[in-house]
Amino acid sequence: MANDKSAALEIKAFADHHVITQPNPLRKVLRRVTEKDLDDPVARAEKALADLSSEFKNWMTLEADRLSNAHAVILKDGFTDQTRNELFRAAHDIKGDAATFGYPSAGAAAESLCRIIEHSPDLDEVPSDLIAHHINAVQAIVRDRTKLDTVSMAGELSRQLRGVADTYLTHANRDRPEHLEAILAPSIAPAD
Amino acid sequence: MFRIDFNKLRFLVCDDNPHMRRILRTLLHSFGAREVYESEDGATALEMYSHYVPDIVITDWAMPIFDGLELAQMIRQPESKGNPFAPIIMLTGHSEKRRVTVARDAGVTEFLAKPISAKALYQRILNVVANPRPFIKTKTYFGPDRRRNTSNAYIGPERRVGGEVEVVQQPSLLDKARSSV
Repeated sequence: MANDKSAALEIKAFADHHVITQPNPLRKVLRRVTEKDLDDPVARAEKALADLSSEFKNWMTLEADRLSNAHAVILKDGFTDQTRNELFRAAHDIKGDAATFGYPSAGAAAESLCRIIEHSPDLDEVPSDLIAHHINAVQAIVRDRTKLDTVSMAGELSRQLRGVADTYLTHANRDRPEHLEAILAPSIAPAD
Repeated sequence: MFRIDFNKLRFLVCDDNPHMRRILRTLLHSFGAREVYESEDGATALEMYSHYVPDIVITDWAMPIFDGLELAQMIRQPESKGNPFAPIIMLTGHSEKRRVTVARDAGVTEFLAKPISAKALYQRILNVVANPRPFIKTKTYFGPDRRRNTSNAYIGPERRVGGEVEVVQQPSLLDKARSSV
């Protein structure tokens, strides 16, 4: 099925805007079922995701290595637009993917690193240890995930890193209110 | 009670991360979708959008060449030869409220913050299928109505003028359909 742009549009003109309504082209894909219908597409998808989970450890290792490689290039060549973007994208991907892959603490550490990259006035001024500790934390959480007793430690590690990073960012942005507001705003990401 | 016939829907998934594309493909196929096209950057996605004419676009934000925000802006060109009305679901690791506003102003229909879940994705798709919003065209915006609620008390600088709030709503199937989740 594909949308049809030529479907009758109803256009109402106002002084500074138009309101355009088209018949819902996707309405045809809604199907009425009875209460007895036991098909549950969400449960089916969750099972498929669970079946895929044997791949997650390997994927997470690849993501963590990509982050470490991006950092290694920065240690060698310094921050440029390209090296900064690659580090940010690697961290940003982990931030988004890690919880799905079963590594929420790695995602939290990567989110903290993203905030440092995004909100530091000058990345060359960021203490090199602060960035290195985030990357080492992601690696440690991913590599040691199989040890159950490290799970709470991983969470604590991520929280401590976030605390140190936020203290640094709050100080570094004390004269940049728009960044301070963004740093202090609550996340809208779903809870773990 | 309503269900979505996913096998009648055509999806375009745009994400530079191959693992996330695999996750999305798995979820959509599990829902019942057969036609899922994938691209790893905004430029290729735009080409595929014109070629395959998908019913729903699911895009990441941060991508090389041009990003998901720019992709949304390019799709939402009212004079374009393609379909400017397709629902766009932005699935992103960005999790700040201001990002939602920026995405909304680019014409994004639904915003879904990672980590992704089957339920959250299903609900966003259900929302765009069962409860489409009218489109608004102004000098600076073309996209789904950014008002989820109508407030006659709003008196800010972006208040639309031209009379009563007169938005033609399509019959909402959302509440009925939600009961199927």
